[in-house]
Amino acid sequence: MTRGARLTEWVAMYVASIVAALVLASVIIEATGGDWWPVMEALVDGSIMAPGRWGETLGVAVPLLLVALGTVISAKAGLINIGQEGQLLIGAAFAVYFSFLIGGPGPLNLVIIMLFGALGGAVWASVAGLLRFWRGVPEVLSTLLLVTVSAQAIGYGLKQDWLLLAPGGDRGNRNQVSSQLADDNRIPRPDIFGNEFPITVYLALAMALMVAYVLARTVWGFRLRMLGHNARAAQRAGVSSTAYGASALAIGGAFAGLAGAAMFAGGGFSFGNFQLVPGFSDNIGWTGLLVALVARERALPAVVAAFVFAGLRTGAGFVNSTGVESRITDVVQGLLVLALLVPPAVIFLRDRRRARAAATERV
Amino acid sequence: MLIDFFSAVGDVLSSESTYINGALFAALLAFAATGEWVAEKSGTLNISVEAMLLSGAFAGALGYHFTDSVAVAIVFGAIGGLLISIVQAEMSHRLTADQFVVGLTLNILVFGLAGFLDREIDPQATFASKLEIPILVDIPLFGEALFGEPWPFYLLYGLVPFSWWLVFRTRWGLELRAAGENPQSADVSGIDVNRRRRQSIYYAGLTSGLGGAFFLFARLAAFDDSIIGGRGFIAIAAVIFGGWTLWGTMGGCILFAGALSFQLSLQGLGYELNAELLQALPFLVTIGAMAIFAKRVRPPAALARPFIRGLK
Amino acid sequence: MIDSTTEVTGAGGNGPSAPAVELTGITKRFGGIVACDQVDLTLHRGRIHGILGENGAGKSTLMKVLIGLVLPDAGAIRIDGEPRTIHDPLDAASLGIAMVHQHFSLVDQLTVWENVALGEAGRLSSAEVRHRVTAISEQYGLEIEPEARVGDLTAGLRQRVEIIKCLRRDPHILVFDEPTSVLTPEESEQLFSTLREVVATEGRAVVLVSHKLDEVLHATDEITIMRQGRVVARQPTQEADARSLARAMVGREVSLRSERAAFGLAEVDDAGLEPEPVSPAEPETASPATGPAESVLRIEGAAVRGRGGAVLLDDFSVELRAGEIVGVAGVEGNGQRTLGDVLSSLVPLNAGRVVVNGVDVPAGSPGAMAKAGVAVIPEDRHDSGVVLDMTVAENLLMVNPNRVARHGVMDKRRMVETAQQLIEEFDIGCSGPDAPLWSLSGGNQQRVVLARELVAEPHVLVAAQPTRGLDVGAIEYMTDRLRQTAADGVAVLLISSELEEILELADRIVVMSRGRIVGELSRADANLETLGLLMGGSEA
Repeated sequence: MTRGARLTEWVAMYVASIVAALVLASVIIEATGGDWWPVMEALVDGSIMAPGRWGETLGVAVPLLLVALGTVISAKAGLINIGQEGQLLIGAAFAVYFSFLIGGPGPLNLVIIMLFGALGGAVWASVAGLLRFWRGVPEVLSTLLLVTVSAQAIGYGLKQDWLLLAPGGDRGNRNQVSSQLADDNRIPRPDIFGNEFPITVYLALAMALMVAYVLARTVWGFRLRMLGHNARAAQRAGVSSTAYGASALAIGGAFAGLAGAAMFAGGGFSFGNFQLVPGFSDNIGWTGLLVALVARERALPAVVAAFVFAGLRTGAGFVNSTGVESRITDVVQGLLVLALLVPPAVIFLRDRRRARAAATERV
Repeated sequence: MLIDFFSAVGDVLSSESTYINGALFAALLAFAATGEWVAEKSGTLNISVEAMLLSGAFAGALGYHFTDSVAVAIVFGAIGGLLISIVQAEMSHRLTADQFVVGLTLNILVFGLAGFLDREIDPQATFASKLEIPILVDIPLFGEALFGEPWPFYLLYGLVPFSWWLVFRTRWGLELRAAGENPQSADVSGIDVNRRRRQSIYYAGLTSGLGGAFFLFARLAAFDDSIIGGRGFIAIAAVIFGGWTLWGTMGGCILFAGALSFQLSLQGLGYELNAELLQALPFLVTIGAMAIFAKRVRPPAALARPFIRGLK
Repeated sequence: MIDSTTEVTGAGGNGPSAPAVELTGITKRFGGIVACDQVDLTLHRGRIHGILGENGAGKSTLMKVLIGLVLPDAGAIRIDGEPRTIHDPLDAASLGIAMVHQHFSLVDQLTVWENVALGEAGRLSSAEVRHRVTAISEQYGLEIEPEARVGDLTAGLRQRVEIIKCLRRDPHILVFDEPTSVLTPEESEQLFSTLREVVATEGRAVVLVSHKLDEVLHATDEITIMRQGRVVARQPTQEADARSLARAMVGREVSLRSERAAFGLAEVDDAGLEPEPVSPAEPETASPATGPAESVLRIEGAAVRGRGGAVLLDDFSVELRAGEIVGVAGVEGNGQRTLGDVLSSLVPLNAGRVVVNGVDVPAGSPGAMAKAGVAVIPEDRHDSGVVLDMTVAENLLMVNPNRVARHGVMDKRRMVETAQQLIEEFDIGCSGPDAPLWSLSGGNQQRVVLARELVAEPHVLVAAQPTRGLDVGAIEYMTDRLRQTAADGVAVLLISSELEEILELADRIVVMSRGRIVGELSRADANLETLGLLMGGSEA
């Protein structure tokens, strides 16, 4: 098969899958008495078309992409980290705590926020790493269970004024809220064509390029991929599954934590008001994980996927006005991911069958 | 502080409601964990158990909404769980998509779908009637917890031994275990490995669906999308904790349910202990238990490893 | 059951009944390559039919067609004269065809009787199955405990379970695929006498698939020889002789010792052909190594325990000097794999130590062995030898990516150049350095491993079952390479269950049984018989 034909086939299968997912979502909307067309219109309006919306979407895409990049790294090591939601939350908490503890002028404080955000996420992911490599607990479960624990930990921290809770005067009538980040400590958002453009977009894109490069070109990335594909071959070649695996998990967590920090300092969008509150993570960790999965654990496709999923989210804000419950966007999202799993699986199966047939010696 | 804590523990342990709640939680976990145990014996690991439970609960609510019958609703619940398991099984063990990715996606999809439909339809539910077994129910502390529960609870007394029999005494179970231990050999022996695996996942779907519906009618009588709240994951942990034996798995369910119920009773009895810690307690206990036991047990040799003929 | 005892060794003259199996014009293509090309095969009740051929000659594919694991592209199958289609192993079973597999179809964690019952249909009755197992094992002298866990059994006993599993279905046609690869010579002998009995008294048809000439000559009634997917000869065993069979099998006169070894002919003539090894060639094993400088690899009292305390390696000691080839002989499954794993840094030792060039190497520590200069051609290359989903170039650089890297960044151009060079030097058949490894044939994957390991300029080369599954040309290439490597001053540890291969290559031989060394011999003292006895477990 030629490259062109192959590409056409890929594109056709993906388009068919996406259409199938949207049709199914429409059927669900119609079945519950809604109209599907206005919902789709609202999604597009809310994510790109309406004034100021694509800036909003970019603001959501940034943390999604960061989370996804971290997921890509831990996945390459053959680990299944699905606790980004918690790692993000702890990252945000670290960022908040140290930002107010250390203080400092605007740009410096922003750096502190980012660094400690990443550190927090890494620490939290490392708990799972420790359990995995020291006690043999499957990371797929420990990362998951730690999500709930992290939410409770933040809830607790937000009740203690020596931890995260804002001092009496700053919290008004709310009882679980952190102090607000000062104006000059926030991520700048210059106005472009009526959209607030968060400069963290550059950071996220640079990170995506970096992750792609590190994985494809460096010795470290090479060895990490080796570990993910064949742990025993890697062990023999000198790749310690503990050292590489634990650092991949930690780095994965660091990206999620960085996303949390960016949400805190970027504020404004859907993530509260430059403050930490219960429920702050708002499913960004989960969605970021989906982004990585849809991108099939590759950094550059994750950029596109992050924007699409961010669009679904910002679009959701406009769906309510159509009289359809906005949680339909969660359904659309889930169906979309499920549908996107099909083409690569089908093609994989077929390629394998061919390859197997070709390699006679292994018959 | 410490004395307070111990007196609180004492109160909790001597309160009958602790055991009644504990039994309900244990039953929820046991429904799911029994099915997941069967599924893991065949070499699959389904984090979509959470979705199957939730789907079962919601389908149960729908069933009652439309038929006003708890019995029919329970059947609806089982079907609700089965539907999710079919998607999981077809995607991961026919199309060979990654089983964790499929499971995770299903969790998110079902959460969204149940939440959406709940608000659109708003199905009503009720409490299932209690069935008290004479004499036994009068045993102090444990009597009501074990023998005075809503009737679907007793399904468990049949389901668990039945599952054991299925796995260890039938040909289907033998083939299932072979698929979980050595799929290559099973394949050569003429067993359709992925078919057995799919069937085992259907089984997990059925029991989890039952479990979800049971919980709805036994404890809350109203659907809410947080009704399962991560307890599906605890059920999976129970299987690991139990070292892939059914009785160990049940032990895990009881231990973890104890943690869930302890937290609840403490609040119910008016103790002002750290609420967040209590909320996190079941999860911490689960993690702690796995940290102690995970290394000592031997999983099915092919657990979570996909089987594609001719490919290792 | 048809009684056809009179037909047992008759070479000509068919019995009154139709042939048990008639395969006509069986053709199977895999991609561009024809695995079976218009193959005809007729099996008669009461006879043992040998199918002889090199690895890759198409014998396995043909048998897979017969038992339903492979669907042919063309051709017809008649069973007892009736045309049939066999879609899967269950179809085959229902037609009375059963196969004893080369690499077992058993599940370790199940008991003997559970394994025997596996793959049957109908209700499962443990009492009934156990009863039958006992009955069969008494009938054929295949003693076995039905409640034993298969994982606890020796290779020979496991094969018994396989055979019982087959016989329980009361098959008309029994297929044995390379049955002796896991047996001691004594056990092989016993197997063949059981076979003879099965055939003689019960009128079953037996197929013996093998690449070992002497085995086929010894145990069969008629022989079909395959080469490159075709049948090239067919004759009664009585009229066959080793030399003509070998010629037919390879397609030219067989002269190289390596080929003879591959066919199990090592003992035919022994003199003169052996190239002088550069090694000190010290036959007396009694004399201890004197200067530590000479000793390159020293394993002292190595012990490894598996899960549940199983003894995998027990007080294992061996010493290798530069330029020497030491063979580790033994029936498969007696700790060879663990030994290979230890030397691949995959398994830590419970006791003992590994010393390379006078320095202790921590076994089980990632990459420690490779770093110390221990190269490995692993028994199962897919397990720890290659990464199937990475490219040829990446696989060639697995152990030492820094060769083409600067400041931790790999230079794509140098990577491709290095790979290209190795591809040419080792004649690796692939579409280029960027070809994914899974797209290569087994032989070429093996060459990738060899190239990578040798280019690292090791002190020690561990070759575990290095020629398994390779065709004759590849075997020759591999043995030459091993000899050359030793001549270059590398200490070679050859772990093999093919005695002929060991006798062919090794300067010194140790015999392994149940994780221990049960004997050590110089090449001069070793022959098939002495080795066979030791392998069987009798201590030297």
